[in-house]
Amino acid sequence: MWEIALPLRFLSALPEHPTDAQLAEECRRGNLRAFELLYQQHAGRMKSLAFRLVGSRADAEDAVQEAFLKVHRALTGFEGNSSLTTWIYRILLNCCYDALRKRQRLAETAPPADFASHSKLPMKLALERALSLLNERQRIVFLMFEVEGLKHSEIAAILEVPEGTSRSWLFEAKCQLKRILTETAK
Amino acid sequence: MKFECGDLEHALRVAELMPEAREHLKHCPQCRREYHLWNEISSSARALHEDWDTPALWPGIRAAIEAERKPERPFWKRWPVLAIAALVVIAAILTPLYWPRAHTPADRDFLTERALADVEKSEAAYRQSIENLSQLADAKLKQPASPYIVNEREKLLALDAAIADTRANVRQNRFNVHLQTTLADLYREKQQTLQELLTREQKN
Repeated sequence: MWEIALPLRFLSALPEHPTDAQLAEECRRGNLRAFELLYQQHAGRMKSLAFRLVGSRADAEDAVQEAFLKVHRALTGFEGNSSLTTWIYRILLNCCYDALRKRQRLAETAPPADFASHSKLPMKLALERALSLLNERQRIVFLMFEVEGLKHSEIAAILEVPEGTSRSWLFEAKCQLKRILTETAK
Repeated sequence: MKFECGDLEHALRVAELMPEAREHLKHCPQCRREYHLWNEISSSARALHEDWDTPALWPGIRAAIEAERKPERPFWKRWPVLAIAALVVIAAILTPLYWPRAHTPADRDFLTERALADVEKSEAAYRQSIENLSQLADAKLKQPASPYIVNEREKLLALDAAIADTRANVRQNRFNVHLQTTLADLYREKQQTLQELLTREQKN
């Protein structure tokens, strides 16, 4: 009964390709269209990253949904000190960790004991299995940089580490993967 | 510096060493395999990106957001409710100032009490005045009876009895306007009777 429609100019105030700041401002004002745009921009990569971290599509979708709801709840307090993108990914990572802790899936996502016997697996599958042997920070940096295409500056902001650390962790991850893949190929 | 197999990883980290590393790769099949694997890791990693349709995901998020927004709506959606609340508060503050005081039961009782006190004060003064008239007329009324005096005396006795009864009723129900009026009428009747008696005697 008391619903009042947003003025048209308010809804149409979003440019075709809004910047992070514009999107954040519109979302803060309660513009759900802006929030949908934010979802469209990031949901794909977020789902994929979450899938690699939690191990199933259903859990990944839950994590993404939870992340977006947390983002929406916290938007009024978002001060713009970091970019909206890095802030969203940071929340997503926390949601994934929460999901893993809650569902105790860490053990389930660990590689099978007979991993070495799969030396003839195609590269994609071998890489998936090798990834699960990396430590958490190496795996996340590798997934964000090599799989999802985020920049080191973004990864560093998400993980709140210096950019050099992000590069270093990626290098360690690739060296470790190379060793695992070399050994399993023998 | 002589580039050896163990230097490959270091070269992959330090771009300046890559020309030497490439030279080494030409003659070292094992390092060439490792280098190829290094590059393949990155190129194969792209294939790890998972993409699948989730048509229910955004509607679910949107529905959850809208459900959360309902209890705490933004100001521009809450203003009608706030406006009504403000009106109620203003009305609650102003009503006692502008509402006629006699309309509240407490005020009515208070005013009736004051009015009644005025009536009773007047009645006492009126009764005293009539009492003064009675004393003046008393001597006339005790004289040997003429038919007129007997008639007036009986009329005054009847009026006194009626006044006594009515005053007794008034004491039982002080706020009864009808009884007060009746009492006033009786006093008025007694006053007129006494005045007529005295006037008539003066003429005689």
